[in-house]
Amino acid sequence: MRNVGGAHRGLNLWLTQRAGALVMALYLIGFLVYAWIAGPLDYAAWHGLFVPLGAKAASLLFVAVLLVHSWIGLREIFIDYVHPIAMRLPLSFMFAVLYLGCLIWTADILWGVK
Amino acid sequence: MPKTRPFFLNLIRIRLPVGGLVSILHRLSGALLALAVPALLYGFMLSLRSPADFERVRGLAGELTGALIALGLVWALSHHFLAGLRHLGFDLGWGEARAPARLTAWATLAAALLLTALVGLRLAS
Repeated sequence: MRNVGGAHRGLNLWLTQRAGALVMALYLIGFLVYAWIAGPLDYAAWHGLFVPLGAKAASLLFVAVLLVHSWIGLREIFIDYVHPIAMRLPLSFMFAVLYLGCLIWTADILWGVK
Repeated sequence: MPKTRPFFLNLIRIRLPVGGLVSILHRLSGALLALAVPALLYGFMLSLRSPADFERVRGLAGELTGALIALGLVWALSHHFLAGLRHLGFDLGWGEARAPARLTAWATLAAALLLTALVGLRLAS
């Protein structure tokens, strides 16, 4: 039977984890500068940050990468501490579904900013 | 190497080197942030929904519990970010020798705490 629980996808995920980290670091630094230029953040200014389509797209991309990065990290923790495969796979799957939901939610939040 | 290696996992008595401490805190902070994602998204949604909700989210940081949670997340993000940069450096072969590795480990611990303290001062004022 095929081994479904091991770390055979290790290198792919390892590399994805690092690429994602770089994308997130760039977004965070860029966003801090963007928000800092916008000045003191009251509701109007904060809301205004997410009106341009570019800001929506960059933020959605950031959250997508964040969710993938989080999922890979949690999977590594589960591999180390949750040994029974009948518990580990449902746990990983549960977080995949939860995070997919979070991604849809994020798109809804961002595109709700008019 | 002896055939049976010693097995010693008393976490209280193990003296973890500083690099090991930074590494386990990197994992801990990552887990905290990963689990906090839905709550953070909820706060993000509120902050954009209406001026009243925006003020509600801001008001949370003024309460003791809210401030402690916010500072915990600030520490987790700072530590995870800085320790992550340090580990990316290792992947590229930078700073792997014993002395620089210990130095950057201490610097990571200190800088994350310092950033958290600065945000804490900002919240308190």
